[in-house]
Amino acid sequence: MTEATDATEATDVTDVTDDELVRLFPGHPITHDNKAAYRGRLRRVLLVNRCGQCGRWHEPPKPVCPQCWSTDVVPTPVTGGGTIFLAIFLHQGPPAEGVDYATPYPVVTVELDEQEGLRFTSTVVGAANDDIRIGRRARLDWATRGGVPMPVFRLTGDPG
Amino acid sequence: MIGRRNPVKDRVAFADAATTGFTAHNTDRSALSYATEACIDVLRSCGLTAADVDGICGSLPAAPQVQAALGIPEVTWFANPLVPFVNQLTAAVGAVYAGFCDVVLAYHTAYRMPWNTASAVKDPFRRSLSLGAGPAAGPGPETIAAAVGYTAWASRYFHEFGARREDLGLIAINDRSNAARNPAAAMREPMTMDDYLAARMIRWPLCLLDMDVPVDGADAFVITTAERARDLPHRPVLVHAATLGIVDHNEEDQQTSLRHHGQHVVVEALRARSDIWIDGCDVYFPYDGFSIIALNWFENAGFCGPGEAGAFLKDNWDAATNRVLIGGRVPVNPHGGALSEGGTQGSGHIREAVLQLQGRAGERQVPGAETAIVTAGGFFFNAQGVVLRAA
Repeated sequence: MTEATDATEATDVTDVTDDELVRLFPGHPITHDNKAAYRGRLRRVLLVNRCGQCGRWHEPPKPVCPQCWSTDVVPTPVTGGGTIFLAIFLHQGPPAEGVDYATPYPVVTVELDEQEGLRFTSTVVGAANDDIRIGRRARLDWATRGGVPMPVFRLTGDPG
Repeated sequence: MIGRRNPVKDRVAFADAATTGFTAHNTDRSALSYATEACIDVLRSCGLTAADVDGICGSLPAAPQVQAALGIPEVTWFANPLVPFVNQLTAAVGAVYAGFCDVVLAYHTAYRMPWNTASAVKDPFRRSLSLGAGPAAGPGPETIAAAVGYTAWASRYFHEFGARREDLGLIAINDRSNAARNPAAAMREPMTMDDYLAARMIRWPLCLLDMDVPVDGADAFVITTAERARDLPHRPVLVHAATLGIVDHNEEDQQTSLRHHGQHVVVEALRARSDIWIDGCDVYFPYDGFSIIALNWFENAGFCGPGEAGAFLKDNWDAATNRVLIGGRVPVNPHGGALSEGGTQGSGHIREAVLQLQGRAGERQVPGAETAIVTAGGFFFNAQGVVLRAA
């Protein structure tokens, strides 16, 4: 994970083929239900499915609205603001670029401001572990891994 | 909608259970070798032959492989649901009750694989094995999918209730004290709270001793009609009520709260279908694949209120045996549970329940045990439970 310029920045990513998308995100479980969200990542936009009929958001992406069964589900940008709901620190884990478990690696589930119970999980960057606590405010940011953008969170607001 | 209908109540029984015992290192045996050993033991114990079996239900390895290895001539029903083992139990009990078969050989092999222990990959024959449970997560660590989810909700439990690691430690110590009396258990050395607190942190707030022990070994069972079981050598153990439980928000990071997940469905269903509940339970088996799961089972089953499990365990701690005795009487996971007997995904809990109700649990025997409750699985997609009673 680095803050450096990534390989996709200069290219028009809206036309990336399905094959290219899979190649850019090796190991990710990309399906027809979440491919739009992965294309969003290439543009540094976090897309969450929202129902075009009833307006409910849901995550992870599903082909139908669990609330009203409409198939008019629209990958929709979120503001990126939220509150930490779950917070853990990995003392070991899968090898990953930019991750050194010598300092326990934070993984947080953030409840997004769009809707109660709508959550997204990633790490927190730019903060000491002691400051990463349930209840803290966070906002979406972007890092890079494997040459493609990765959604992450940064702490915001009063440490409380 | 949770139904009260329970036509199968007490109509299908465990005729017997057997185990190979469990080992917490890579052995030079295949999963099939453990499964066949346990299956042969349980059939011989029942005085049955391969030709008496007409149904097979297991986890790993696949039922046709077990059938071929054991030379079981013909079966009319088989299935391989995912664990935990109440999945196998409900499938087999339903098949017997429906008449798809009469005598089910049921088994589960616990086997050290990359999903439960990184050191499994030292054995090249294990590298490509998987349990096949749950949707795949991304390749990085930025997820709480699968096992990590329990650590994440432990962080929430600590946040909401001010719980401490010592509360989890009581679950681990209870298991270890019980395992000392179980020759099948993988981990039998005594454990103190200091030992627990000093254990290697894996994912804060859970340490190594909060996580079940990856083991090699197998359990096997004969499940048949209550009538047929009465003609076999051992006291039948009747399946009184059983259920699985799952809710809509079953992705690990989308679960609504600690107050609404699969465990709550299980408890509501069992209470609706069973004549027996915790006040009439002689031996209790809360699943403990992670210590935090067991704490939540105590609360959700109704032994105490939300956030009170640590205090409940302290109040019901038997200092003489360094373990829990609910009301001074009811032991909890007397075989040592997943944390000390070994990570059996529930088959060890059910095997011990069967042996206890048969009166064949050796020095672990609960005097006069007639009823057992097993609340297996965790929060998200594998909560389940069964009430058993002696015939």
